[in-house]
Amino acid sequence: MSTPKPQLSLGDPLLTPRPAPRAPRGGGRMRRIVARLPLIISAAVLAFFVLSAIAPQILAPFDPLAINPVDAFSGPGAGHLLGTDESGRDIYSRIIHGSRDSLLIGAAATAIGLFLALVLGTIAGFGSRWMDSWVGRILEVLFSLPGLLLALVFIALAGPGVGTTVVAVGLTTAPGYARMIRVQIIALRSSPMVEAATVLGRSPARILTTHILPNALAPIAVLGTLGLGQAVVWAASLSFLGLGSPPPAPEWGAMLSAGRTYLALAWWMTFFPGLAIVLVAAASTVLSRTLSAGAKR
Amino acid sequence: MNYVRPKATRLFSAAAAVAAALVLAGCAPASPAPESGSEAGTPVTGGTLVYASGDAEPTCLDPHVGGNYPQALVASQYLETLYTKDASGQLIPWLAEDSTVSEDGLLRTLKIREGISFTDGTALDAAAVKANFEHLLDPETASSTGFLALGKIASMKVVNTTTLELTLSTPDSSLLESFSMPWVAIESPTALKRSQEDNCAAPVGTGPFKVESWKKQDAVNLVRNADYVQPVATEGHDGAAYLDAITWRFIPEAATRYAALQSGEVQIIDNAQPDTIAAAAKTQTIKHLDAPRPGASNRIELNSSKAPFNDASVREAFIHAVNVDASIDSLFFGTAPRSYSPLSSAEPLAYSAESLFAYDPAKASELLDAAGWSERDAEGYRVKDGTRLTLTFPVSTSQSIPAEQSLFEQLQATAKESGFDVKIKLLDLSSWYGELFKNDYNLVSAPYTKVGPSVLSVLFHSDSTIPAPSGYFANLSQVKDPSLDALLDTAGSTKDEAERKDLYSQAQKKVLEGYYLLPLYDQQNHFLYSEKLRNVGATTAVATPTFFDSWLAN
Repeated sequence: MSTPKPQLSLGDPLLTPRPAPRAPRGGGRMRRIVARLPLIISAAVLAFFVLSAIAPQILAPFDPLAINPVDAFSGPGAGHLLGTDESGRDIYSRIIHGSRDSLLIGAAATAIGLFLALVLGTIAGFGSRWMDSWVGRILEVLFSLPGLLLALVFIALAGPGVGTTVVAVGLTTAPGYARMIRVQIIALRSSPMVEAATVLGRSPARILTTHILPNALAPIAVLGTLGLGQAVVWAASLSFLGLGSPPPAPEWGAMLSAGRTYLALAWWMTFFPGLAIVLVAAASTVLSRTLSAGAKR
Repeated sequence: MNYVRPKATRLFSAAAAVAAALVLAGCAPASPAPESGSEAGTPVTGGTLVYASGDAEPTCLDPHVGGNYPQALVASQYLETLYTKDASGQLIPWLAEDSTVSEDGLLRTLKIREGISFTDGTALDAAAVKANFEHLLDPETASSTGFLALGKIASMKVVNTTTLELTLSTPDSSLLESFSMPWVAIESPTALKRSQEDNCAAPVGTGPFKVESWKKQDAVNLVRNADYVQPVATEGHDGAAYLDAITWRFIPEAATRYAALQSGEVQIIDNAQPDTIAAAAKTQTIKHLDAPRPGASNRIELNSSKAPFNDASVREAFIHAVNVDASIDSLFFGTAPRSYSPLSSAEPLAYSAESLFAYDPAKASELLDAAGWSERDAEGYRVKDGTRLTLTFPVSTSQSIPAEQSLFEQLQATAKESGFDVKIKLLDLSSWYGELFKNDYNLVSAPYTKVGPSVLSVLFHSDSTIPAPSGYFANLSQVKDPSLDALLDTAGSTKDEAERKDLYSQAQKKVLEGYYLLPLYDQQNHFLYSEKLRNVGATTAVATPTFFDSWLAN
């Protein structure tokens, strides 16, 4: 067998490698920059939202919770960059402050999902045959339920809130990751590297920690980046349904939901939080695509 | 599976809707307004009115079963009541002709009108009315609203075809008002003998329309009752209704409902939201009907059964800490005048006390300091003996419209300045009931519609703190005051109208001055309709519109 390459068995066309854009000879820097523009923009967008999550007070001009009924429904403009909501709160400041909740939920949920997946995937891929088959059955059961339904069931049992949302989204994304990790580990398990280690009498635990997991983790990093965007969207969906952070927290999904009522009157209440969600989701997708192309090369 | 998927994509459809709304906002409704010449005033017979309701589709079209407002809205088209209210708000006999009560108030004699038939051909008589009351009082029917309204009837006797005698367990000064509610409407006794499933699908009444079919999850189809006889002549016309039919649809999403009205797909919508009412006021093509519901005003109840609101001065402090007026002005666009009464402005006996409800943070601070809540923690909330001044506020997302939810958020923000930590919990209806049942609330807002001031007994009598078998109790401020109970008991049984008025005023004064509630505004009941729909405005005693006199202009 040849050297195993990390395989992603995801049907997502975004994950299939594209020929790396090569600047033709004499093409100049300009072209190279243009070719990298999506990556640069994505990185900038994510950096902006990460910064606003870490230090919102630097970027936000107003208190996200300060109400001012007289100022309600002001359009985007000089006073309020992205307008105000029905309570006269500054939308831009709320989006900036909301990024902490949204990104944190997204990152924590992805982390939980990946961790669970790693455990399940390792048991299935590295354990005995019956372990593999048991984990396989469990994953099939989880797969048979639509993702959001699984999250809703969990929230119905545990009650709404930020913590519950994180766990719910994490649980929901775990089965998909687990299958991919299992395939990774099975491929690595039959690699010459691992065969050599086995012949040399290394313990299975050592083989797992020194050879298999480090090699399986690179594609998982790519998955995690892609998952972050997805998890942010899911968290926003749950908040949109009123199952996330309680009011008056400036959570993006909750803002989207609140603005929906006033769509004809104040489009900015829905448009800008929606734009923030789309930007984060798109940026993390582009980033993960570039990372995966890099990993394949 | 199919049930959940659309929700997952709602996020994206919301984004798409933004684009759609931009397009919609840009173009005015396309329908060219007909010249309002001499023809405009001549009623046209025919046409189908499409009504779009924002409420959840009822599970039963017979308002005897359960008994909520969405049922009353649709049933007002095909069922009629023994009493009703005329245009000036006076209680008048409708299917009943007259009624008398004995000196001790325990024997009520009802005279039933002659010459009226149900749409299945059964004649209306005293036995039919008795069959309806028996249906309402039968536990099998599972009536809640109608059952409560008739609770004091001990026995019934048909004296002759037009006379029914009711023996009451205690005198009931609100019985005729109860008879005016659609939840106590009179249905054909022949139809009531069918299974409940059949009767729920197509109740049979005496109204100007009848139920033809009900396609669940789609629409209730009503057609004109060609043989309709109006029990009492009114200013309108005689004979059958002008409209051929009414299609009763359900469009829960407020923006979609308004867009359907703008496009001409429907001609009238209920649950019109404040911002759309304001937008409609700027057009020539959409008109507004404001019909505040009778009974209680919309209010926030302060749970006096536990800390911190077991202390009257903390209740008073909270009321002075919240700036209600500024928020109502901006969120309701002038469509909801402020209330200072426990009763709706539609109630003639409503008593208001504006002076009690001023926004006065300085006074709130003074009261809280005196009550021992003088320290503040790092976040600015008041503390006493290591406990933060926290108020739990469960909010039912199906009972509070978005503007009201925003109002509560704004009150939360102003109360914070005085050191109150208000925790709003947005809940679905059954979880919301659960919190109330567990007494896990300090603040709560619940609507209550009923004709007449006797709603005060439902909301503030100590008997109403005892949960019904369903777990619900209506006295949510949990006021238990023997002197208040006495006032309400006497007011509920007196035959003297002046005494009744005086006692109910005293009772209202008592609950307002005890700071058990924060009145907000009347129970909002707004309708928007196309200018092509003429002669809209007649309503029943519970402010549900009727379309007997309405017609569609070409």
